[in-house]
Amino acid sequence: MRRTLDTGNAAITEGAIIAGCRLFAGYPITPATEIAENMSRRLPQVGGYYVQAEDEMTALHICIGGSLGGLKTMTATSGPGFILYADPMGWALGSEIPLVVVNAQRVGPVSGITGAPGQGEFYMSRYPTQGGNYETIVLAPNSVQEAFSITVEAFYLAERFRMPVIILADQLVTDGWESLSIPETPEEVEAMGLKVVPRRINKGPEFYPATDEIDIPPVVLGHNTGAACSDWTPTPEGYDTEEVDFQHKHAYRLIYKVRNHKDLITRYESYFVDDNPELILVAYGSPSRVVISAVKQAREKGMKVGALRLISLWPFPDEIFKVQAKYLSVELNYDGQLVREVQRAMPKGSEVHFFGKCGELPTVAELEEMMQALLAGKEIKARKWEWEAW
Amino acid sequence: MAKRTEVLVSGFGGQGVVRIGQTLSTAAVYQGLNTTMLVSHGTETRGGYVRTQVVMASDIIDSPVVENPDYFVALSKAAYNRFISLVKEGTVIYDPAYVEPDASLPIKQIPLAARDTAVKELGRELYANAVVLGAMARMMTGLVDKENILKAMLERIPRFHEENKKAFELGYALMSKE
Repeated sequence: MRRTLDTGNAAITEGAIIAGCRLFAGYPITPATEIAENMSRRLPQVGGYYVQAEDEMTALHICIGGSLGGLKTMTATSGPGFILYADPMGWALGSEIPLVVVNAQRVGPVSGITGAPGQGEFYMSRYPTQGGNYETIVLAPNSVQEAFSITVEAFYLAERFRMPVIILADQLVTDGWESLSIPETPEEVEAMGLKVVPRRINKGPEFYPATDEIDIPPVVLGHNTGAACSDWTPTPEGYDTEEVDFQHKHAYRLIYKVRNHKDLITRYESYFVDDNPELILVAYGSPSRVVISAVKQAREKGMKVGALRLISLWPFPDEIFKVQAKYLSVELNYDGQLVREVQRAMPKGSEVHFFGKCGELPTVAELEEMMQALLAGKEIKARKWEWEAW
Repeated sequence: MAKRTEVLVSGFGGQGVVRIGQTLSTAAVYQGLNTTMLVSHGTETRGGYVRTQVVMASDIIDSPVVENPDYFVALSKAAYNRFISLVKEGTVIYDPAYVEPDASLPIKQIPLAARDTAVKELGRELYANAVVLGAMARMMTGLVDKENILKAMLERIPRFHEENKKAFELGYALMSKE
């Protein structure tokens, strides 16, 4: 085990290498450029390929090509690049092509602030392409060590579900420095609970089963497999069709292969929610770190509060919102993207409030003030976007 | 060390603020501690504002935010003015070449002539951050070993090892007099 101090970007790189990633294509953008830099150094050492693309759309198309050629592939970007993935992302989702996409979220909209954290692509990660009729898998690390392990997991899920998996990080995770342990032997990889699925090859002739079945090997071109692969609505053999009946089957598969195996994806942490707390803080990514500190401290002071930290964001873990309570969604944006999902998932009689900040983390002190006010049912003076009852 | 230790270092770009943070965090890893380090800076390569927030603890570190710094190293006037209100019980270490401290504050404030020492003894301001690290090694005795900080510094600053080592010892000696 190698113990070091490094960034989330370095952790993601090492996680990808261990997961078997052998092609990275990307276009540099702060705060994800370091992933490209590290990949350009590391991939040739392990017999892999690094390609700098002319833009993000090309980068993801190259990853798709690499995956169809039999390699595990990854690309990484930030919000302004993530939106450019929209077109090839449809190809990867519709044609069931496994790959991993990293989004290091920064302040937006548009170019925003390059070196500061944001959480503005929560919904975009659910609907990253046109047309609907699909479900996505999105994972959100909150530390450098978890950025490492989640990258390995993203490849694992991508291979098993045969689809792109999105890692929705933020600038503090990718640029932050933290102690990091990297396993160096297969035994250490296993001891850390990391699982790797080798690339398998679809022997065809079927391209897809019209069921929710997973662990269907992906198509790898040039292996005489017989299975075709196209972005049009396919027949089960992968040929283009305009028959609505096949579209139903295809859509069912893209949606329910994920939803019906949600238990393999859903991950979260809960703190002090077993004794029906009055107030539950909800967060993902870096702000969840402050939330956990704040809730632990508040409990020591006798405040009846708990916390839910989402690790998998999509499919949304509705089932973990069991307690009727006041919920406080803590996010690095001002529009409260998580709020609506919490509102939809929470039990009747609950209410949801919002604390948003962008470009920097909230502090424990700020959260404590919010918790005290909410528990006392008090309004507190704050800017509208920081404090709102829904 | 069960307690959580928070270090805030701020100055302007080019002073080696990030190197100081990286060195302290790396030393914490050598010490067997958990550590986090956040960096924020302006868009300029040199001259802009830079801040690094280092947290170290033997327990898992949840919040990586420095809210109550045990040590605040202020290497510019702007940094001092911006973050001094965070210091309630901690110690402020400031470079008098840049910072005029507010003497009315009821906190411990120690001058560290990092820039002038580097210029006078080694001929270059470049080594001021190594002076700061030596001083921090003295301040943090009992938390992080001097040897670990020195080892981490030589790893994080790959050039001019002899000069940086000398600057480090000068900083350590300066702080020993305090």
